Amino acid sequence: MSVSEERSWTARVRGRAVAALPPDKLLPDKQPAYVASWIYVFGVLSLSSLVVIIASGSILALKGPGWWHFTGVGLFFNSIHLWSVELFFFVMVIHLWGKFWMAAWRGGRARVWITGAVTFLVAIPCALTGYVSQQNFDAQWISTQAKDAMNSVGIGAFFNLLNFGQMYSYHVLLLPAAVVGIVIAHILLVRKHGVVPPFSLPAEPTDSEPSS
Amino acid sequence: MAAIVNLNHHANYVHWHFFQMSVSNIVVIVLMVIVFAVAILAPFPGHVGGKSS
Repeated sequence: MSVSEERSWTARVRGRAVAALPPDKLLPDKQPAYVASWIYVFGVLSLSSLVVIIASGSILALKGPGWWHFTGVGLFFNSIHLWSVELFFFVMVIHLWGKFWMAAWRGGRARVWITGAVTFLVAIPCALTGYVSQQNFDAQWISTQAKDAMNSVGIGAFFNLLNFGQMYSYHVLLLPAAVVGIVIAHILLVRKHGVVPPFSLPAEPTDSEPSS
Repeated sequence: MAAIVNLNHHANYVHWHFFQMSVSNIVVIVLMVIVFAVAILAPFPGHVGGKSS
């Protein structure tokens, strides 16, 4: 590396990024044989649900509450948004169970596990702020009940569930941006470390080593 | 347009000592357990029990 390249932060970042994630690791065309199991599918199912959530949510944000409450197509997209969230949590929990029981933090994958767990935790308020962003009586009732709940656990001073503008910006910007950002980090870490292998079975006894 | 399942009533709950949960939440959790078991046990198409590479 020349002196000018050493001084350039873009060259240093590029060098570190390519060293950590060379193109064949970033976009692999082969996976180990053990990945051929349905339990390994739930990560990409979570990702697919997230894409539908972001796409349907973007359309809802574009059209507004009058559209999503009072037109047929609006109600359809409202339902798509709700059920893609239901599906997201459904498959994400199964993904979490699968990775927990195979101890997916093995082999230097602690950050992969942590980013996955944090995604789950951040996705919960992201979904809950959706209930108070509906702009109907349900949202009003839920926000007052939730305000009491937040106050009772001592965190009600940090945000106000009765403030629609605040909750809506949490729901459509801050929390989705956090979820998407952490998910991108999670995927890049999976690419870097590879998919976690299953536990190896104990060696089968041979004829010369009878089992006790 | 009528819904497939009539949801225009209060949720049904299972309440046993400290445990309280809506029937719909229990149904979802049971479904997740079933799908989890199927995902582990069901054979993956195009893969016949080969060894790991």
